[in-house]
This record gives sequence, structure tokens and C-alpha cells, in this order.
Amino acid sequence: MSVPERRLKATSGFYKNYVKKFYEDAHRAKAERRPVAWVSSTFPVETLQAMDIVPVWPENYASVCAARQFSVELCERAEREGFSRDLCSYSRCVLGSLFGYEKELPEGGLPKPDFLVTTTCACDTHLKWFQVASRLYRVPLFLLDVPYNVGGGDSEHLDKAHVEYYISQLEELFAFLEKQTGTRLDMDRLRETLAVSDWTSKLWMEIQDYRKTVPCPMDARDAFSAVFFMLCMPGSQQAVDYYTQLRDELRQRAKDEIGVIEDERFRLVWDNLPLWFNLKIFEYLNSLGAVVVAEVFSHTWAGNLDQSKPFESLARKYLPNMANSTAQRRVDIILNLVKSFHANGVILPTNWGCRMMSLSETIVRDEVYKKLGVPSLIIDMDSSDWRVAGEAQVKERLATFLETLRKT
Amino acid sequence: MEVMEKFRHSLLTRHEIAREWKKRNKSVVGWTCTYTPEEVIYAAEALPVMVWAGLGDTKLADAYMPSNSCSFTRACLNAALKGDYDYLDGFVESNSCDNRGKTYDMWVQYSKIPNMYFINTPHTNTEKAHQFFYQEVVTFKEWLEQTFKREISDDSLKNAIRVYNENRTLLKKIYDLKMKEPPLISGVDFLEIALSSLVMPKEEHNKLLSQFLSQVERRRNLPNEGVRLLVSGSVMDNTELVRLIESVGGNVVADDWCTGSRYFWNTVDLNGDSLKAVARRYLDKVPSSFMYQREQRFRHVAELAKRFKVEGIIMFLIKYCDTHMFDAPLLRDELKAMGLPVLYLEWEHSMSGLAGLKTRIEAFIEMVGGVK
Repeated sequence: MSVPERRLKATSGFYKNYVKKFYEDAHRAKAERRPVAWVSSTFPVETLQAMDIVPVWPENYASVCAARQFSVELCERAEREGFSRDLCSYSRCVLGSLFGYEKELPEGGLPKPDFLVTTTCACDTHLKWFQVASRLYRVPLFLLDVPYNVGGGDSEHLDKAHVEYYISQLEELFAFLEKQTGTRLDMDRLRETLAVSDWTSKLWMEIQDYRKTVPCPMDARDAFSAVFFMLCMPGSQQAVDYYTQLRDELRQRAKDEIGVIEDERFRLVWDNLPLWFNLKIFEYLNSLGAVVVAEVFSHTWAGNLDQSKPFESLARKYLPNMANSTAQRRVDIILNLVKSFHANGVILPTNWGCRMMSLSETIVRDEVYKKLGVPSLIIDMDSSDWRVAGEAQVKERLATFLETLRKT
Repeated sequence: MEVMEKFRHSLLTRHEIAREWKKRNKSVVGWTCTYTPEEVIYAAEALPVMVWAGLGDTKLADAYMPSNSCSFTRACLNAALKGDYDYLDGFVESNSCDNRGKTYDMWVQYSKIPNMYFINTPHTNTEKAHQFFYQEVVTFKEWLEQTFKREISDDSLKNAIRVYNENRTLLKKIYDLKMKEPPLISGVDFLEIALSSLVMPKEEHNKLLSQFLSQVERRRNLPNEGVRLLVSGSVMDNTELVRLIESVGGNVVADDWCTGSRYFWNTVDLNGDSLKAVARRYLDKVPSSFMYQREQRFRHVAELAKRFKVEGIIMFLIKYCDTHMFDAPLLRDELKAMGLPVLYLEWEHSMSGLAGLKTRIEAFIEMVGGVK
């Protein structure tokens, strides 16, 4: 019997085919004087797509710099300007790239924004970081101020006042965008964008569902690449086409029972971010018989969008983001993943500069153990600043954890 | 007892003061962020007290809070876990900063304080934000009424506003004494007065403030001529740093702290709907760094530096306080452009965190003093 090909076709060359192209397109848009906006995660990016504004994601750019081993130099550049080493490494990396840098930046750097849009939905850091960029570039910044989801409910169980406040700001957002671009919002176009985004979400969740299969046909390394469309361009046809192709391939893999590894001993849930500077860590896990079957990150960005209620459904999609909710929501999501993906361990990697994801890790660890008897590992590390923890340290922690899992 | 001694004493006996208040069949409500509309709590005849811990270890809270989280927030939770705040009948937290917002989970999960409440604080002061925050304050009022079984009438609210405004006005008058050269009050004394305002019943505090003002002329042990400094940072719940600065030739004549000038600088407008006016005051006041209105804070600092004839700035940042840290390089550059030397310090909110800074502070003061 021949050895089955375990690598996925759809994700091979992902960076070159999609991410690199994304930055080329953004630079071209800038050169052609089409409006370019910087945007942060948990911002309803569909609003920009519906107005033909090219969204650029500084967070994604930081992960690109990390993957290209550039992030620490850029962080250090920002630190020399007085930005504390304990701040979010994404923000330091991107700010570092703005202060003048002697080497050629990955993908030619970020295109200069015509304006910036951000939100407090994920963290205060987004607001503060974008304020700095707005001042450096002397371009306006729109803030979508999002109330904290203190009830911890999902999109169907939100505080009415929160949703209303969010909606009222979307009206202000469009007024801002219209002023910046000189174009009026076309409601039909917005509805179309939401329909595409809704379909993107559904495809992405279908893709995740195939990973419940034993053996799991898709690993974290592929997921952390492919999630790009969910974050950066959910309302685009390109996202739908790509996810359809990926879904079809996974459907076949699941049917043929071809997993990431042959002998799957540990199924893990991975919280928060990966080490962007070393995604090979997931192959290391594979070599120890472990597969990450679900990333919490992959289960954070999908949401139903109802065309008949465009503003309200955008509010309901983004407002209950885990970062914007009390710990119970995070606990509920992770408990559900552990159960439905038949996982036997949870990895909780700290992102050093991120308060939002660090602060409820102990609650998650304790609740998951109490409710399901599944142990978790908290690792102090950072997604893009390898000075916090290097490859060797992280590998050692992971290996020790798997060893304890094996004994239990 | 000299009036100054009374302020000092209130800080040492703050928990006893709260317990005394409870004996009169009244409640005590703890709060952590200066965006909490205290007037509404006061109008419910409950005593609002700020929760803090001073400088000490945080062993109990360390079990739940990671080392990359704000040590001030950790110290507050630690105090509660130790039982220092067992007398609280209620506790109010806010999402004003990420560290605080996320620590609410720990308060709910691990502290034994009853009646937890969370106020959603907008990070901007647009009209929509004002409308939203007003609704938050209305809901907060209803919660207070139900929880503490006291109706909050418009009269009691107006009275609370009057008492609080008086407190702010008096504190500002005393603050102005620092304009004199040398200042008529030391930075340590002023901080003790300001901090006692956060834990004492405001009416009593007002009496002491008036007494203090009437006795100013007769005060002895006034500060010596020293290097006039402004200290900028997030929050300060103890006098150790200011004491250190003033022991090596500095005079702290102005500050940019939540628990300092930012706390009492703005009053509530008494015209119109009382509750609306209270809500409006908080979003429009001299902002903390989590607010979109960054330039307003920078202007406040620059104006203080001019009015109080400041010669140097010490930026004193608690580690992992993201919002202040992002502002710091920009604020530093603005102040330097005004010709002011700036010392930037990061520290952990603990005694050991402070000890390491002494040499740098001393050298900075010498440097600034030498320029004179």
C-alpha cells in the first residue's frame, strides 16, 4: 500500500499565493490612489469592503514580520523610540516599521493609510497603537467604542443597550467613511458583502467540523494560515472560492481517513496565538504523536450575518468576541471545543504583551479540569517576540506536558 | 490633633472608618476606577471607598493573576483575598482599562465580596457615548436602590453633587498653594489629603479641608526651596515615591494621576437634570489615558507645568499599564519641546520596585537643579 500524501494541497504555497498578493494589491491600490484604511481585528471590516476601501491589517503584517524573522528588530526599533518592551509585540513591530528602518521591510512595508479605523472590542491597545500611527501619519482615526460584554453571552444573548450603542456608531462610521472617500454607502452593496461574509463563515466552520474526525485531517499550522481570509477579507468572493476548495479537500480526507499523522495519540486544543516566528512547533508536536485539532482563534471569527438586519447583525457578530467578554464566554467556548473535538489537553500560550488573553487563563485551566478532567498547560511566551521564550523553552514545556498526559 | 494629622490618621484607619459607618446601619461600596460616579453611591447613603492596597507583596493574587498583568490591580485583589475588604457591602468595577476589566472575573470568582457590579465606561465622549453612559448610570442608580433598599431622590442626588463639588473646589484651592515658591504645602502632604478624600465620608472631609485652609497661614514646617517637579502616571495609592523625591531635593508641585489632579479637577454642572449632569462630568473630565481624548490630557499636563512653574517631569509608569505606556513617548516629546527635562521610569507597584529607582531620581533632580 502506498503512503498517503498527508500535506494539504489547498494550503501549500498559501503565503505566496494569497498573503503576498494581498500586500501587492494593497500597494497597487495606494499607487492608484484608491482609499486605503488600516483596520484592527474585531472591527467590522465588511463595512470597508462594501465601500471599496482597501483594508490593511497591521496585526497581520506583524505576524508576517515574525514569520520572516524580522519582528524582534522592529520591536527594538520601537523600544528605542520609548515604547515599552512590555507592550503588545504586534504594535511594537508595526510602530518600529514606521520610524525609518535601514533594511528593506517585508512586502515593502505597510501602505500608508488614508485614514484608520479601530475599536475597543478586542483591547485598549488597538486604540492606543492606532492613535500613535494616526499622529505619525497625520491622518484621521475613527473609534468604534464597544461596551464590554459583561454578561458573557453569545450573539443571541447580548445586552440590548450594547447592541443599540454599537448600531448608532455604525451610522457615524458610515458618515465618516463617506466623508473620507466622497462616495455614498450603497445599502444593496452592503447587503451583498454581508451575504458573502456570512457564506465565508459557514464554509470556515464546515472546514473546522471536518477536524472533529479521528484522525484529524488538518493541523494548526494550516489553520493559522488559512484563517487569514476570515480575518482580513471575509466579505470577498476570493474567500468563498478558497474555502470551498479547502472544504472539498478536507471532506475527501475525512472520508479516506487520512490524518495529519498516522498514529494520533494526543488531540490538543490550542488557545490564543501561535509562535508566528516558528510555526514548525506544530510539526514538533506531530513528531510526538500530538495534533492540534482546534485553535480557539479559528473559532473566534465566524458569525451569522442577516442581510435584512445589516447593522444589527454586524453588532451581534463582533460584540461577543471572547476578548470583549467575561471569562465565562471563553470557558464555554473551550469546554465546547474540548468535548466536540475529543481533545485530551489544552495549551494556553500567553502572549506577553496581551492583557486580554492572559488574565483569565487560570480560570480556563481550572474550569476545564473541574468540568471535564482535561488538563491545560499555560506557557509564558509571545507570538512575535522570541526574547520572551525561544523555541527550545517552548518545546521543552510541550514535551513535558505530553509526558504527563501520557501517564494519565 | 493638627488638621494634617487628621488626614494622615484617616489613611491609617481607613478600614475602621468604614466599619464605623456601617454601625450606623449604612452600607459601604468599594470602587476601583475614578470613572465610577460616586455621587450616586453617596446619594444612596452608602459610603463610596476606593479599593487599594499600598505597597506590599501580592502572593495571594499571584496564584490567579499572571506576572504580565498590572501590579496595582493585583495588589487590590490581593487585599481583598487577605480579607482587608470583608466589610464591603458592594463592589463596582469597570472596563476603563483592560487590566481592570479582565480582573473583574477574578473578583467574582475568588473574592467573598457580595453585590458585584460592573459599569461599562465608554472610551470616548461623543454624544452617542454620553447617551450610552447616561443609561449606564441610570441602571447603576436602580441597582443601588434595589440592593441597598434606599430610594435615591433628586434632592439627595443634588445634595451629593453639592458635597462632591465642594470637595473638588476645596481640593483645588489647596492644590493651588503649591504654586507659591517655595510651595505652601509639600507633595506628600497634598497626596495624603487627596488620598483621604477617597476613603472618608466627603462631608467630613470637606470640614477638614476648610479647617486646613483657614489654618494655612499658621502652618509650620513648610517645604524648603527645591526642584519643582510634576509627576505623571496612572494611579498612586501611597506616599512613598513622593516622599522619596522630596527627601532628595525635589518638590512635587503638580501631578497627572487618576488619584490626584485628574480626580478633582472638574465639577458637575448643576444646571439641568442631575443624573445626566453627573454622567456627563465623568466622560468630559480631564481624561485618563484609556480615553480617545488624549490631547486633552496632554494639554492638562502642559498647563499644570506652566502654571506651577515646573522645572522637570518624572513619568512614573506602572508596568503593563498599556494605555499610559503608549502615550508616554508622545507626552515625553511634547514636554521636552517645552524645554522640560523628562525622566521616564517603569516600576512594579511594590516596595522593592521602588527601591531600585532612588539613584536615578536623585541624579535627575541634581541634573535639573544644576541647570537652574
